[in-house]
Amino acid sequence: MTSFINFIQAQGDTLRNALFTHIGLSLVSVALAMLIAIPLAIALMNHPRLGEVMLQITGVIQTIPSLAILGLLIPIVGIGTVPAIIALVLYALMPIFQNTYAGLTQIDANLLEAADAFGLSWWYKLFKIRLPLALPLIFSGIRIALVLVIGTATLASLIGGGGLGTFIMQGIQNNNNTELLVGAVCSAALAIIFSIGLRLLSHLSLKKLALVIGLLIVGLGGAFGFQAYQQQQHQEVVIAGKLGGEPEILMNMYRELIQQENPKLKVTLKPNFGNTTFIFRALQNKQVDIYPEFTGTVLQNLYPEKLKSHNPAQVYQQAHQVIQEKSDLTYLKPMAYENRYALAVDQQTAKRYHLKTVSDLARVSPQLSAAFENDFYHQQDGYQGLKRKYQLHFKNVKSMEPSLRYEALKNHQVQVVDAYTTDPQIKVQKLVVLKDDLAFFPPYQGAPLVRNELIKRHPEIQKSLNRLHNRISESEMIEMNYKVTVKHEKAQRVAHEYLKSYRLIR
Amino acid sequence: MRNTNVETAPLIEFTHVDKAYQKQFAVHNLNLSIRAGEFFVLVGASGSGKTTTLKMINRLIEPTAGTITFAGRPLVDQSVNDLRHQIGYVLQDGALFPHLTVLENAAMTLNAIGVSTKDAKPQVASLLDEVGLDPARYLNRYPKELSGGEQQRVGIVRALVANPQVILMDEPFSALDPVSRKQLQDLVLNLHEKRQTTIVFVTHDMDETLRLGTRIGVMHQGHLEQVDAPSVLLQKPKNSAVSKLFLQQHGHTVSDVIAHGYYETGNGDEIPRVTVEQTLADLAQALLDAPNAAVLVNQNQVITQALYLEYMANQQE
Repeated sequence: MTSFINFIQAQGDTLRNALFTHIGLSLVSVALAMLIAIPLAIALMNHPRLGEVMLQITGVIQTIPSLAILGLLIPIVGIGTVPAIIALVLYALMPIFQNTYAGLTQIDANLLEAADAFGLSWWYKLFKIRLPLALPLIFSGIRIALVLVIGTATLASLIGGGGLGTFIMQGIQNNNNTELLVGAVCSAALAIIFSIGLRLLSHLSLKKLALVIGLLIVGLGGAFGFQAYQQQQHQEVVIAGKLGGEPEILMNMYRELIQQENPKLKVTLKPNFGNTTFIFRALQNKQVDIYPEFTGTVLQNLYPEKLKSHNPAQVYQQAHQVIQEKSDLTYLKPMAYENRYALAVDQQTAKRYHLKTVSDLARVSPQLSAAFENDFYHQQDGYQGLKRKYQLHFKNVKSMEPSLRYEALKNHQVQVVDAYTTDPQIKVQKLVVLKDDLAFFPPYQGAPLVRNELIKRHPEIQKSLNRLHNRISESEMIEMNYKVTVKHEKAQRVAHEYLKSYRLIR
Repeated sequence: MRNTNVETAPLIEFTHVDKAYQKQFAVHNLNLSIRAGEFFVLVGASGSGKTTTLKMINRLIEPTAGTITFAGRPLVDQSVNDLRHQIGYVLQDGALFPHLTVLENAAMTLNAIGVSTKDAKPQVASLLDEVGLDPARYLNRYPKELSGGEQQRVGIVRALVANPQVILMDEPFSALDPVSRKQLQDLVLNLHEKRQTTIVFVTHDMDETLRLGTRIGVMHQGHLEQVDAPSVLLQKPKNSAVSKLFLQQHGHTVSDVIAHGYYETGNGDEIPRVTVEQTLADLAQALLDAPNAAVLVNQNQVITQALYLEYMANQQE
């Protein structure tokens, strides 16, 4: 409990921003969904067949996984708030449409007949009779939608949309339960508060209600618009990073190095991109300008090519060339450490089966279970190729989220995991990293991917970032990762300390 | 005295009107004139087409054949809402809107012609008074706080407040208890006498029909069987369909005498006959005229004067 409070105090600012963003996203999405769903229900209330069709359509939209929608939207509308809102609006449509439609069509037929018999105008019938009678159901639909959206909005953080999801995702990534809980509890509290608030609102008359909602929408829209405008105006450089402690450290190093050379430049960080595809698309779509990427990933994921060798320097050259030829980006100079894939087992298993290399592992693989992270599981330079090369036949294999697989290992649900050579969990859980004796795994060196247009505008950025060339050893990276992910120190500080200790900044 | 002298030009006229659903006729070849100022009652069993007929007047239902005119103009020649502004409507359940006060409910027909609820208040208040509801106590109440009878009174106020030429009433008192029903019938008779508004009233209750109507239209299986004043209907029912209706509701015919056993067996030649459907009045008259003060019913059932008097003496009214 105390760590909970401490955390909130320490991260007060970030939490406040995230809260506002989250509230804003949720309210705007529900408001937009109302603007679409309610008039639609009104239009279809006298057409039962079309109404049924619409109910089916909105129902189907609900079943599409939100990540899929987000992934589909990014190439069209970019990252950040816009795709998040679109996805949330789609989700809020069904409860609102369904309830409004039911409310409007389930009115006592006698009452509707009387309204017709009095020769009332359609406007009167709709606004003074049907809508007021349908209001309780409409309200409950909005409440359901709001609670749904507040929960789903946690995903916005994966695509740079911000919100409370940031804490949840980072908490999972860094094994920081306090952080995770803060995000989750705040999100749940928000849902409860809004649900109650709506209930209180439902006691107001229709006119007062319309006023309140109108004010809210204008206020929010204004705040949001202003924020977005501000971001547009002052944005000069955006550095993005994938989920995890290591990208965070690198991002912060990049920022300090750039601002040291060019203090007037505004540099914004957009962390926590959920996966390579999201972040690379954002780079290609000019939503972000720089992010750290691995040579191996370039040649396996981004522009798949057969590796000409397994020598790290040559692999870098190959990656550098393909980037130059096929994109509007430049791959700057690499750092010293490699964050390769490796297979790791817990100490117990290593001792029991005398495991030192992956070949050793292959022999006993039918008796063992493995858990691999998603990218690794699917890649040719990951499990797929490794399986064939070493003839691995595990008892069972699962793919899961990066940090969850370490939990599985700890609980002895699996004995083998994939690991990155700079993973601090190696240090924490005292894992045994198996030697890749058949030299299967390709090199994975890190370097900044930068948009050419940015380099043209600010050529000094190249020099700033290349200061990291050949810097940071594997053990240094493990140590920094350990500080951030396990000891929960702030990435910004750890990055700063490193740069200072090597006099890369003054 | 109920005014039965009315203008000769009909206010509402049905000419060869049909209402067919798929292959069934709800109403078939209906020809009917309703005159201004009269209290016209449409009576019949369920499914006889009386409610369908009523609803064709304000176009809640459209005929599949024939024409209907209102004040000389065919219904289809005017806009539906314009027509409905001139026609009041009272339903069986009152149909008051639960989310509106008595005032807002009653003022609705005035709202429909552009009068605001605020401006309508004096008229609504005075009408509420007329129907026996104290405005001070009722104006701001909600329908769920009112009894069935009170709700129906508000329904009547709502129908009257815009001063329509005609009021349609669809079994408005059927859901009420007998006491309330009688009170409301009195009320409606009163209003009719004061205002001379044309009323078209639908019911299946014979007693109500005879009490209220200045002219009565009897409907049976979609056909209008007979249209006459109440006394004429009682004395001269056109066919068995009509008389059966009275029979079912009243039970005071020769068949009732037979049913209670007041007859003896006899041969049938020389005495006058009566049929089972004839009324007691007919029976009494026949007995007075008969030479042997006995009449024959069916093949061999004979009712004598003495038996008749016995029957009457034992009647529980």
